[in-house]
Amino acid sequence: MIRFERVTKRYADGTLAVDDLSLECADGEITVLVGTSGCGKTTSLRMINRLVDPTSGTIRVAGKDVTKSDPAELRRTMGYVIQQGGLFPHRTVIDNIAPVPRLLGASRAKARGRAYEMLTLVGLSEPMGKRYPYQLSGGQQQRVGVARALAADPPVLLMDEPFSAVDPVVRSELQQELQRLQAQLHKTIVFVTHDVDEAVKLGDKIAVMQVGGHLVQFDTPERILARPENAFVESFVGTDRGIRWLSFFAAKGLRLHVPATVETTTSAEDARRIAREAGTGWLLALDADRHPLGWLEVATLNGGASIELAGLRSLGHTFKPDDDSLRAALDATVLSPAGVAVAVDDRGVVVGVADHEEVTRAIRAASGRA
Amino acid sequence: MKPGGLTFHFHKVSDWAWLTGHIGYFWQLSRTHLYIALVSVAIGLLLALLVGCLAARIPTTHPPILAVTTVLYAWPSLAAFAFLLSITGPSDTTVIIPLSAYAFALLVRSVTEGINNVPDDVRIAATAMGYRSMRRLLTIELPAAVPVIIAGLRVATVSSISLATVASLIGVSTLGQLFVAGENTDFLTEIIAGVVIVAMWALVFDGLLLLSGRMLTPWARRVS
Ligand SMILES: Nc1ncnc2c1ncn2[C@@H]1O[C@H](COP(=O)(O)OP(=O)(O)O)[C@@H](O)[C@H]1O
Ligand SMILES: [Mg+2]
Repeated sequence: MIRFERVTKRYADGTLAVDDLSLECADGEITVLVGTSGCGKTTSLRMINRLVDPTSGTIRVAGKDVTKSDPAELRRTMGYVIQQGGLFPHRTVIDNIAPVPRLLGASRAKARGRAYEMLTLVGLSEPMGKRYPYQLSGGQQQRVGVARALAADPPVLLMDEPFSAVDPVVRSELQQELQRLQAQLHKTIVFVTHDVDEAVKLGDKIAVMQVGGHLVQFDTPERILARPENAFVESFVGTDRGIRWLSFFAAKGLRLHVPATVETTTSAEDARRIAREAGTGWLLALDADRHPLGWLEVATLNGGASIELAGLRSLGHTFKPDDDSLRAALDATVLSPAGVAVAVDDRGVVVGVADHEEVTRAIRAASGRA
Repeated sequence: MKPGGLTFHFHKVSDWAWLTGHIGYFWQLSRTHLYIALVSVAIGLLLALLVGCLAARIPTTHPPILAVTTVLYAWPSLAAFAFLLSITGPSDTTVIIPLSAYAFALLVRSVTEGINNVPDDVRIAATAMGYRSMRRLLTIELPAAVPVIIAGLRVATVSSISLATVASLIGVSTLGQLFVAGENTDFLTEIIAGVVIVAMWALVFDGLLLLSGRMLTPWARRVS
């Protein structure tokens, strides 16, 4: 566990970067420090590995005051990942990853072996190991940065906006990669970002900081979104926090209905009869394996032959009640032309539908629990 | 093509025959010349690495070190020769000392600039990985500074090869001897031969440094 006990940092020029911070980062969890630029996130992080020493207060890692440790030795027990990668330009990827095991006394061969393991762990291929940093994309450089930080298998990982400099698609990949690694490795991670979405996605706990180095709220992402401590947090997390908050509730709790369906071979006359009996203007068209094809609007049918596939309206998207959140279900409802979200199982077979009323009911039930 | 005001005699034998007849002599002069020029650069580089690292490690020493190198750089080499002549006599040492000082003055700047140009995030990453400052300097910052140091080394080497001609004025036989003798006997061919040979060696060593720099720093090569 990493504990900040009333930590204050005032730089030599008088800037108060961190003001009386008390915080506990639990073992095996991702604690995210989030806040606008200049609010003291980097300073807080750097006090953990003693790149910066506090003016007053104490930081303990596993109970021990960090200022009592030799800085270099302390740092070898903590991985550090930064925004620009900070890779050594004159060394190959493998020789960028191997140093910490080497510093800790591993033989050259052993350190290299470990480095290749790390390369694979972060999703890079072995031949990549012989490249130089300038031959890598930004996303690949960040992967190497993560591999390097993990090479000595440190219990603690400090990450300072590690994914901020890459494009959104790569960022999202790297975030998923980190989640996958964390599920496997259970590191104690302190993660700094200015991006609320990233904080909510990755954090087990989120510390919202405000300029002047104040901690405003320290809580789970669910509670930060649902119950912002004050107007600052509320405006910081943004106007769509309600929608984002729904991503913490499983769609499992939805009571699904059985939809009125047609197949491609159904005649228009039968389709009209089915719709009349079900009391609906929209029919879900399925293929022979019960995969959804689209929505049929009964009012647009003409003639009595077969229904016209070309006349089907798009589903928008489907959701999986076992994996997805209420946010995905609500989104599917909004995008559906029929106002009804289609639930499918892993094989893509329709298991039921949920309409606006049902999704609303589930949201009410969820907020009651929050 | 005669320089205005001066008249030069041409030998009875053809100039070409004179040149081919003196290849051994040119080679002998070149050896002394290059020995003096390159030993000076080597000494200058060694000192520059030591002092440059000191300046990088202890920032307060940086301004005084730069001030001293500026003085060394601006010092007229002839004055230095004259002064040293009275101590070390007309020997190689008398030439090597000022040439080393000159190379040193040039290279200290390259070394400090090269180290200071290493991106901050590289330095911070190394520190955060648990490198102590000496190891970081020797294994990360200095190697990353190599392209800048090589660039300085090329300038220092070419300058040193050019300056080593001056040694002949105090009786140390470098390629400058060809200028002195050619001037004394009004023999233009000999002077031209001197200029061409000095320029050739300068180009050869500049090229060698360029190539070895490329080989030493494959990581700095940019895709074009
Ligand atoms: N070395 C320093 N000297 C003086 N002021 C600094 C130094 N580093 C950061 N600061 C100031 O401290 C405050 C917090 O900086 P920082 O921790 O980098 O914030 P963040 O990472 O949240 O953007 C800012 O006002 C910044 O300008
Ligand atoms: Mg920062």
